[in-house]
Amino acid sequence: MPEPTRFDVIVVGAGPAGSLAARYAASGGASVALLERKAKVGAPVRCGEGVGLRGLSRTVTPDPRWILNTVTKVRFVSPGGTVVNLDGVGENFVVDRTIMDADLVRQASDAGARYFAGVQVLEVARLGGGVYGCRTSGPRLEGRCVILADGVESKLARSLGWSTHLRLEDINSCAFCKVRSSAIEQDVCVFHTGRSVAPGGYAWVFPRGDGSANVGLGLLGTMCGPGRARQALADFVQRQFPGSPVTDTHCGGVPVGKWLRPLVREGVMVVGDAARQVHALTGGGISYGLIAGRLAGTTAAEAGRGGVLDQRHLIRYEREWRRTFGRDQNRSFALKSVALSFTDGYLDGIARSLARARSSKLSYARVFAIAFARNPLLLVKAVRLFR
Amino acid sequence: MTVSVDTTVCDLCGCCVAVCPADSLTLFETELVVDDDRCTGCGRCVKVCAFGALACTTRKEADRA
Repeated sequence: MPEPTRFDVIVVGAGPAGSLAARYAASGGASVALLERKAKVGAPVRCGEGVGLRGLSRTVTPDPRWILNTVTKVRFVSPGGTVVNLDGVGENFVVDRTIMDADLVRQASDAGARYFAGVQVLEVARLGGGVYGCRTSGPRLEGRCVILADGVESKLARSLGWSTHLRLEDINSCAFCKVRSSAIEQDVCVFHTGRSVAPGGYAWVFPRGDGSANVGLGLLGTMCGPGRARQALADFVQRQFPGSPVTDTHCGGVPVGKWLRPLVREGVMVVGDAARQVHALTGGGISYGLIAGRLAGTTAAEAGRGGVLDQRHLIRYEREWRRTFGRDQNRSFALKSVALSFTDGYLDGIARSLARARSSKLSYARVFAIAFARNPLLLVKAVRLFR
Repeated sequence: MTVSVDTTVCDLCGCCVAVCPADSLTLFETELVVDDDRCTGCGRCVKVCAFGALACTTRKEADRA
C-alpha cells in the first residue's frame, strides 16, 4: 500500500469557494491539495450564471473571458403581470461558469495548490495527532486541515459531527435551460413571480448576449412534487417563448436556509453551498462562496504559519464571516421568510405601487421601503426575524 | 424501505442528497447510490426531485426490478 500523500490543507471541491480557499491557503504558504470529483470542473453548469459586479469584485477581478453579457437593467414581473423596471441597480454579469470555474482552478494551482481532477473523497476521518485522513477514489491523502467545499450535498461534513441535511423549507429545487428567441431582450435580467409560475421561488431570464438566455426557476422544497420543477419550467417557457428551441435542460438545488453553524470543528472548515452561504432571497451563492473560500484559505495559511491548525485559530474564519457577510445572509433569510408570506395579490399591489415610480430612481432599498409602507406590520415581523 | 432511481431521468444534481435526513444517498460523478439499510422511506428525496427520477419502494420490489 503506497504511503498517503501529506498536505497541510486538503480542499474538497473545486467550485468557486474551494478554488479560492485553495488559492489563498497556497499563496499563504501552506501545502494544498484541491480535489474535484468531476473530470472537468464547471460542467454541466448548475447555476443561473447571474452575478452582480459589486459582490463578485470583492474577491476577484472579473475576467472578460467569463463575461457573456453585462446588464444594467433589472425587471420584476408580478404574478398578475405588472412590470417593474429597475434601471439604476448597478452592473450585473451573465457569466460562463465553465470558463470561470476552470480559470479559478488554474489560479489556485498557479498559487501552488496541487489539483486532483476526477478524484472523489469518500470519507474524511480524524486519525489523531491533529491529522485527518481522506479516503478517495484515487490516492489516500492526509492533511492537518480540511476545507469542505463539496456543494449543496454537503455530505462529508455529516460524518464529522455536522447535521447538514436541509429542511424542505430551506431548499429550492430548480430546473433550467437555454432558450433562443428574438423575444428575449438582451439588456435586462427578468424575474417572474407568482404561485402559478414558481411557488416559493421565482423564474429568471438572464440574457447571454447572443440572442439566447439562461431561463430557469426554483420551487421551495415544501411546494415541490416529483418532476414539478421540470413541468413548471416547460410551462413557463411555452408561455414566454412559444416554439423557441430549448437546450441544456438541467436541475439543481439551492440552499435557502441560514448559514451553517458552526463553520469550524477542530481542524475542519466548511465553505460555500456546503456551508449554506447563499443569499436566501435571490439564491445567489457565487459571491458568498468566493468570499468565504478566501477567508477560510487565508485563515488556514495563517494558522499553518503559526504551527497550529486547530479550532482555536481556525475559528477566526467563522468570526470574520459572521461579522461581515454572515449578518448580510441573516438579513436575506429574514427577507425571504417575509417574502414567502406575500400572497400573489399582495405582490401585485406592491408592483402597482412601484410601477408608478421612475425606474431610474428605484433601488432595492426603495423597493423594500415601499413594500413595508403598504403594510407596516410586515416591518415588525421582519425586525423580529432579524434577531 | 429504499428508493429506486430512474437512471434515464436522473440528472445527478444532488438535491436528494441535500435533503436526506438519514444520509442514505451518495452521489458519484455518474450515478446516485442508495443505501437500503439507512433509508427510512421518508420520501423527501422523491418530493424534491426536479425531474421526478426517484420513487419510494420496498426492497423486495427493488430486487425484482
